[in-house]
Amino acid sequence: MNGRHLIRSLLLLLALPTLALAAAVPGEKAPDFSEVDAEGKTHSLADYQGEWLVLEWFNQGCPYVQKHYGSGNMQALQKKYTAEDINWLTVISSAKGKQGYLEPAQALAEAETHKLNASAPFLLDPDGSMGRAYGAKTTPHMFIINPQGEVVYAGAIDNNDSANPAVIPDSENYVAAALDASLSGEAIDVASSRAYGCSVKY
Amino acid sequence: MSNLHNVAQYILLVILLGLASVAAAQDSASGDHVRVRWLAPESFVAGETETIGFYFEVDPEWHVYWRNAGDSGAAPRFDIASDTAAVGEIQWPFPVRLPIEHLTNLGYKGNVAYLFEVTPAAGADTLSLKANLEWLVCRINCIPGFGSMRLERPVGPASSWNSGDRALRDRFAQRVPRPGAGSPWRAISLSESGGEKVRLTLEGPGQSPRVFPLDGELLTATEPALRTDGDRIHYTFERVPGSQRPETAGFVATDGERAWRFDAIPFGAASSAPTDGQATALWWLLLAAFAGGAVLNLMPCVFPVLSIKLFGLINTGTDTAGRLREGLVYSAGVLVTFAALGGLLLALRAGGAAVGWGFQLQSAPVVLALILLFWLMALSFSGVFEFGHRLMNIAGSSRGGSFATGVLAVFVAAPCTGPFMGAALGAAAVLPSASAMALFLGLGAGLAAPFVLLCASPALLKRLPAPGPWMDKFRQLLAFPLYATVIWLLWVLGRLLGDSGWLIGTLLLLAVVFALWLGRNFARAGRVAGYLLAVGALVAAFGALRSPESEPQLAQGEWQPYDKIAIERARADGRAVFIDYTAAWCITCQVNKKLVLDTPAAMKLFADHDVLLVRADWTNHDSEITRALAQLGRNSVPVYAWYAPGAEEPELLPQILQKRMIVALFDEKSTLQLAEDETP
Repeated sequence: MNGRHLIRSLLLLLALPTLALAAAVPGEKAPDFSEVDAEGKTHSLADYQGEWLVLEWFNQGCPYVQKHYGSGNMQALQKKYTAEDINWLTVISSAKGKQGYLEPAQALAEAETHKLNASAPFLLDPDGSMGRAYGAKTTPHMFIINPQGEVVYAGAIDNNDSANPAVIPDSENYVAAALDASLSGEAIDVASSRAYGCSVKY
Repeated sequence: MSNLHNVAQYILLVILLGLASVAAAQDSASGDHVRVRWLAPESFVAGETETIGFYFEVDPEWHVYWRNAGDSGAAPRFDIASDTAAVGEIQWPFPVRLPIEHLTNLGYKGNVAYLFEVTPAAGADTLSLKANLEWLVCRINCIPGFGSMRLERPVGPASSWNSGDRALRDRFAQRVPRPGAGSPWRAISLSESGGEKVRLTLEGPGQSPRVFPLDGELLTATEPALRTDGDRIHYTFERVPGSQRPETAGFVATDGERAWRFDAIPFGAASSAPTDGQATALWWLLLAAFAGGAVLNLMPCVFPVLSIKLFGLINTGTDTAGRLREGLVYSAGVLVTFAALGGLLLALRAGGAAVGWGFQLQSAPVVLALILLFWLMALSFSGVFEFGHRLMNIAGSSRGGSFATGVLAVFVAAPCTGPFMGAALGAAAVLPSASAMALFLGLGAGLAAPFVLLCASPALLKRLPAPGPWMDKFRQLLAFPLYATVIWLLWVLGRLLGDSGWLIGTLLLLAVVFALWLGRNFARAGRVAGYLLAVGALVAAFGALRSPESEPQLAQGEWQPYDKIAIERARADGRAVFIDYTAAWCITCQVNKKLVLDTPAAMKLFADHDVLLVRADWTNHDSEITRALAQLGRNSVPVYAWYAPGAEEPELLPQILQKRMIVALFDEKSTLQLAEDETP
């Protein structure tokens, strides 16, 4: 047995927990995913190669999600940017039995009542694999992936972690700012922020 | 009838209570799992600042949050307005870490008071405040709450508190962080550690404080990895992925009762503190030190000394108890010397002097004295003169002799850095004083152990052959390693002083032999002349010791002398760099050089890959090289540092080099190939 080999294997073993904690980091390649939406269609990162993609983590029971959906803020963003050929996937990573978990039929109904304007009805990630790969901590946690498959933004939707919808008009929306800057070829001012909201219920 | 009356009374009571709570809604706020009320005096004093607050009573297991709420959650918001008072900033008592599932939040277990200062405006006879509150209360699920509260209190000559409320206020005021300047800890540095970590170093006595980051955009709330190093405490925080590094970052440190705020610690350059990977557990280092010490017994420069000693023990025919006593006295000598050397190293380290192990051989007088000592011992062994009686008396049967042997063994063993010693000594140089001293003593115990074992066990000692005429021959044989040691030391002296070193050293040896001859052959006058000559030679020789004017660090072939800037430039250009930290007095270094590094095969490999070859010569005290070694976590040579092209951190090669290790630097496949070839 070669000593170097052994050491390398050991290092690899030590590195495993770090790999398990991988996250989507601005400036780095986005983690792969492959999940089924409420209609049974599979979406994977490769499907969106060459296109812009926004990922949004969702839990209908979370007051911060309600802040942005009850006010219509999130749907307006979805509508605006999907109209500009930007893909938008809203992901539910709640595990079965935890708050926010939805069966496909329930998810379709929720999409209807929430007037979801995403590119697909909710992406269902009950095993949390996609959420963990991205390091999604909260709902709503937002990620933007550029056509090269790199993360360009990770964090909160805006700069105000109040649960009060009244603060939305005066908040600085990081997602909209990052998308607008990218589409007009400018550098993104804020590429990372502390994601506020409720914990993702893995 | 009376029943009906009771019912009516009851209904009235309920209605009254309801009305009361509506009226009091101005004075408190509540939501799911949370009730908020004022902590304020019954009356204020005109012109006097008072600290008041909002008292959050929270259901068990539910939490409200700190100003930086951590990975999820949200800090409460307070919007306070008053026409009749000046209102200060919210003061946040220090939090605890609240792990929830995969996240960590910063908040409070149980009830908490958020405080602020208020000063009644001049001339106002009442103080009124209006506050809009928003909070988030979570167990696993979170529930936001909103409320409005009004405070109306008279302003009078004296303040009057409900004593319970004042005690509550005081309890939480005690937990509000104060300015860091008054804290027991001092912020030493803040640096990025890789792209994903930030390291904060505090310095101070006692228990390590808990530290919370103020900036949740930069750092996650996860408990930082903690490492102490003397009075220094290193906290390694996880960074929010991709977060931009601000100029400064703030932290709150707490001992669990009080807390201090370090508002803006500037980011400095990455500190040279050893990385966590090198912070090996102390017990492991102690074990390594002991093993290293034991191996030292076999070093060519130590073995003869020990043989002499053992030889003496057999000769005098002492019994087991006597031998054990000798062994223990010897151990005492070893340990005392190690402790003294360790103490010296620590004292010098404390004084800021950059010194390293083996430094005693960087001093020409010490080297010359050693040359003289070994020369006399060798001559005596060869039977040139009967120094034997005296030396054996000193280094022989008396207790002082065993002690002296111990001292001598340590002194000559030090430069023969065994493979285990490097890491242990490197660690000793950066460890807290007590641990460093333990390491030194570990080395000493390792060095002394085999000798004590041999002394203590009659069975083992019986294995040694019985005394006889062979011992004279054996003694004469032992003279030769001593002669070799003399030659090596002369060479070291030559390296230290240039050609004059050789001349001074050999002339002194000649003078000593001549003096001995005089003393032996010409009775009294001769002995006097001999003494005079010896003393004269010693004075002349030690007086003549002078370092050469300049210290030409010769580039040997392809090897460049140590030049930090050249190394940085080459690394920036993406060139590979190989640094050979070496010294003339380091035998392992010379062996590696001859057998591996300076071989045509290795040189060709280096040349083919355009490697910058650097020979950092530590023969003479060189503080820059000492610092470079310390950065690698080492304090002795040899050290072989390999910077692959573009690599941030060097790879350190083993202290005993093999050719295949050099080959492996360039081609991993060939390592495997060679390894397979080697297996029979």
